[in-house]
Amino acid sequence: MNKFSALVLAVLSSSAAAQTPATNPMPDGSRDMYVGLGLASAARYEGAEHSERKLLPVLQVQWSNGVFISGMSAGMHLSHDPRFEYGPLLELQPRRDESGNSGGIDGIEARASIVALPLAAFSQNRLSGVAPVSTRLLGGGFLNYYLAPDWRLTGSLLYGAGNDRDGARLDLGLQRLAMQVGAHHRISVAAGLSFVNAGYNKAFFGVDRNDSLLSGNPVYRPGGGLKDGHLGVRWNWDLAPSWMLTSNLRVRRLADDARRSPLVERPTNVTVSAAIAYRF
Amino acid sequence: MTMARHLIASCLLLLGACAGVAADVYAADWVSYRDAYRAMVVFEKYGGPKTHIQNHLQVVPLEKGAALDGLQLTLAGKANQLRLALDPLGRTVFPLLKAAYDDNATLLLEGKIGAFTVRPRVSLTLKADGIYDDAELRAACEQALGFARYADASLRARQCGGVRFVFARRAGETAVRLHRADGTEQALPLASGAAFAGEIGEGFPTVVYRFAGAATGRTQVISANLPLAILPLFD
Repeated sequence: MNKFSALVLAVLSSSAAAQTPATNPMPDGSRDMYVGLGLASAARYEGAEHSERKLLPVLQVQWSNGVFISGMSAGMHLSHDPRFEYGPLLELQPRRDESGNSGGIDGIEARASIVALPLAAFSQNRLSGVAPVSTRLLGGGFLNYYLAPDWRLTGSLLYGAGNDRDGARLDLGLQRLAMQVGAHHRISVAAGLSFVNAGYNKAFFGVDRNDSLLSGNPVYRPGGGLKDGHLGVRWNWDLAPSWMLTSNLRVRRLADDARRSPLVERPTNVTVSAAIAYRF
Repeated sequence: MTMARHLIASCLLLLGACAGVAADVYAADWVSYRDAYRAMVVFEKYGGPKTHIQNHLQVVPLEKGAALDGLQLTLAGKANQLRLALDPLGRTVFPLLKAAYDDNATLLLEGKIGAFTVRPRVSLTLKADGIYDDAELRAACEQALGFARYADASLRARQCGGVRFVFARRAGETAVRLHRADGTEQALPLASGAAFAGEIGEGFPTVVYRFAGAATGRTQVISANLPLAILPLFD
């Protein structure tokens, strides 16, 4: 039953790709919900050298009609075939300003840095003077295919990122779901690639003439293509029927035009998080 | 910075303490009813033919050699408890209950076998008279294969190769014979082995009937004892 117990618990990382929990058939009118809180250490923004520690709200809700909320994503499972999952998908992309990624939508992904970085850390802040990228609601869809009950290919396409709302991102991945490593311990492993269009790269990695004048970064006009490759490991520990400790390690390496951006201080970012969640 | 480190350490300690307390309170072995429901309801929702097959929840100990004889599974909700008797293969009929799902009920195992997991197990329906036509067994195996392919795309290349009769360890003298259309009979060999492929456990008396050639309704497999289960074999 690995596949079926494969809880893809969303951790609200601003750098997380759109997440689609495994389909979760349940009685009509029921729901399955996790709410929790933890800590995360993540780069201030994609490509930042410095990390910061944040409080980490956790939220995942699935309803019997297929609708789900998973971290910053929401969607609906439309397939009744256990080999496929597909449906519409929305994702809230948090604002990025010179202090890094943020959020602040209804307390979900509320930016609450509990470790103040010394000012010296920002003295070389490459986002200083760069126009903020506003919070955007991306829309699109997802399609997952199970090679076997424990292995799934994942895909999602989202559009609407950036101030011009013309950024598109295609995430492709392979997941090994819920390897049981003892009583109540499960580990999931994922690897994936993200492809974006020029609009997306321009919004997050480009520097236009105004930004250049204000920030001192050279003008940079990236094209589309491969944005990054990423690997992730998640460890879920079922402490009790209603309590779970979920920990996540994710490594993301920027590529091609994104990597060459003058805004990128280091191409590889590591995100570590741990949170305790209650199942309602 | 020191204050911040202390704050982080305090939060981690709090997380650890919560984890420890919760783990102690629920030291008994359990699995989530919701997780089991998720696994079991797939068979209910399957729209293909399934008249000759059935689905059970099977308890699978994680510790090698743990015996399931005499154990009982308890479905524990907030207000009610339901006892589910296990057969010698660790199987039980799983109740699909909205109230238990909404309660986030647990499945508790009475008895000390250590940690366990649960999984759905599909088998062929049994007949009281113990007489199975070859064609019936083939049809039932095809139904089981159809469901297996539906639930697991990696099985799409598999074919039905036969069935395995699994008997209780103390079933007395187990005898399964093949009765051919020409009136001849042949005893099928008895072997000791695990009930399910890839499963750890002591041997059960088993008899394998392999499908050979084209289906014929005149060939019968006759079991003198009621088996615990008849399982499809996929090649």
